[in-house]
Amino acid sequence: MTDQIAAAGAAGRKRWLNGNRRLSLFAYLLVLPVVLLILGLVAYPFLYAIYVSFTDRVIGNDGQWVGLRNFQYIAGTATFQSAIWNTIVIVVVTGVLKLGIGLGLALLVNQHIPGRGIFRSLLMLPWAMPAFVAFLTWRVMYQPIGGGINLILTQTGLYPHVVDWLGQRSTAMPSVIAASVWRGFPFWFISILAALQSIPNELYEAARVDGANAWQRFWNVTWPGILPVVIVTTLLSSIWTANAFEHVWLLTQGGPSDATMVFPVLAYFGMQTQRIGEAAAVSVAMLPVLAILVIFATSLMQKDDE
Amino acid sequence: MAAITTGTDAAATRAQPRGGSIRRNLLVSRILTYIALGGAVLLILFPVYWMLITSLKLPREIYRMPSLWPQVFTLENYRILLQDKEFLLPIRNSMIVAFAVTIISVLISSFAAYSMVRFRYRFKGLIGRLILFAYLTPTSLLFIPLSILMAQLGLGNSLHGLILVYLCFSLPLSTWLLQGYFRGVPRELEEQGMIDGLTRFGALLRIVLPLSAPGIAAVSIFTFTHAWNELLLALVLTTSESVRTAPLALNYLITSDVLPWGPLMAGATLSSVPLMILYFIAQRFMVQGMTAGSVKG
Repeated sequence: MTDQIAAAGAAGRKRWLNGNRRLSLFAYLLVLPVVLLILGLVAYPFLYAIYVSFTDRVIGNDGQWVGLRNFQYIAGTATFQSAIWNTIVIVVVTGVLKLGIGLGLALLVNQHIPGRGIFRSLLMLPWAMPAFVAFLTWRVMYQPIGGGINLILTQTGLYPHVVDWLGQRSTAMPSVIAASVWRGFPFWFISILAALQSIPNELYEAARVDGANAWQRFWNVTWPGILPVVIVTTLLSSIWTANAFEHVWLLTQGGPSDATMVFPVLAYFGMQTQRIGEAAAVSVAMLPVLAILVIFATSLMQKDDE
Repeated sequence: MAAITTGTDAAATRAQPRGGSIRRNLLVSRILTYIALGGAVLLILFPVYWMLITSLKLPREIYRMPSLWPQVFTLENYRILLQDKEFLLPIRNSMIVAFAVTIISVLISSFAAYSMVRFRYRFKGLIGRLILFAYLTPTSLLFIPLSILMAQLGLGNSLHGLILVYLCFSLPLSTWLLQGYFRGVPRELEEQGMIDGLTRFGALLRIVLPLSAPGIAAVSIFTFTHAWNELLLALVLTTSESVRTAPLALNYLITSDVLPWGPLMAGATLSSVPLMILYFIAQRFMVQGMTAGSVKG
């Protein structure tokens, strides 16, 4: 019954029966609300953002087509240049750290040890915490007055001086990265742990029989087994991290003096100055890189799907 | 940390001739594992602990003589937050928005996901790609045009507008995830139901949805979390205090007050409690879903 449409499709359209046509109408009707809403709320705004980035639109005036002028203008500003650099640093450094920590902890929890269920639940905790709560808490943690990190460092004697972690250029970026890794590593941990558990034990047994040492077993059995998951996770995490707003906004608002400025925060500031065309150009500027990541990710995820 | 496990494993295999040293190596490996995991758990729990403890401290214990354990516990920060800052209103707004978004998207996404999984038709591949692209399109790219669009529709600065706009990320998310769960429901059960006189839509409502209940619960929680956490669109789309959501109210608490850490952490605690509860429910549902899957497999 369910395969009738497929069968009819294979046999050619002329043999479509009334019932089949009704069935395909039903299928279209079911998918229609989602498709219409996505077209209206994602596809249209997406194209509209690109259009606006080529105009000199301000609040209250739709503006004229100005070609690449917005892009030429923002590319020359120091703030935009630091946003490019900072975004690359955040994506790469948090990506590497989250992979290392997520993989390491997943390997530890994947052993048959007592209490692994409790550890797994606790390690997922930052993921269950709303992002805005996590970053507000870290903001308080980093404070020179009332912050937990300075308290620990001074009381244990590890570092005797109170540091304004978010207030000085040299420590602001590492602080943002540490908080982002804290909040972001559980996604990697869970994904990699699930992949580890799907590797059949016989492969390890076989490797052991062949005399492979631990490193060889990791390199020849574990790593190939989790690699597809690691690649998809890397792509997804890069897309999300590059476009995250909360971490920088709630911790530093891009400061001090643009040391932690990233694209989404800069675009938001641009919108507040009411120069919509330029603000849109900031968020559209990262589109080429984003598009490559997204196309790569969708091709892998759809392959997974089939 | 990867090196620790593999390293100790290697030591265990190399030392095969003598049983005692295997056991000793295993013990060392266990101890190292627990030290590493314990350290990680401490690093994870400390910020959570600091949030809770700061929300229960008096101002003088937060600022002047900070300590790991407060001498006096107080609910004063919660009183300031709830009475002076009227934080119940943003909590209520967040509840309305997150529940509405979750119900609407899970309902219509389940229809779409069912259609995508069960039928073959023209443009299905295209629709699938559209949903996946939409899932990966970041809000940082959409917030400017969406705010223009909402102003044109007269939906700016309202909870209705926020609910509508949040569908831009919740629909692709829930459709994408539900497709995975629906694939696990065997066709035969549905066909059995239709032989027994159900319509196809009836089979969807009475057989597919109940059988995917753990999946639907998990997807609902993901969707709720996303809507509850959202800050950027709320920041851009709402201007008046009466329609502020919880993240937005706390965001404005930093910019308005001098050193508001006590009430801020009280607000952070209150806004994470509903999600922590949902998280534990979700975990149970996910475990159920996983075990059900493994029994079937």
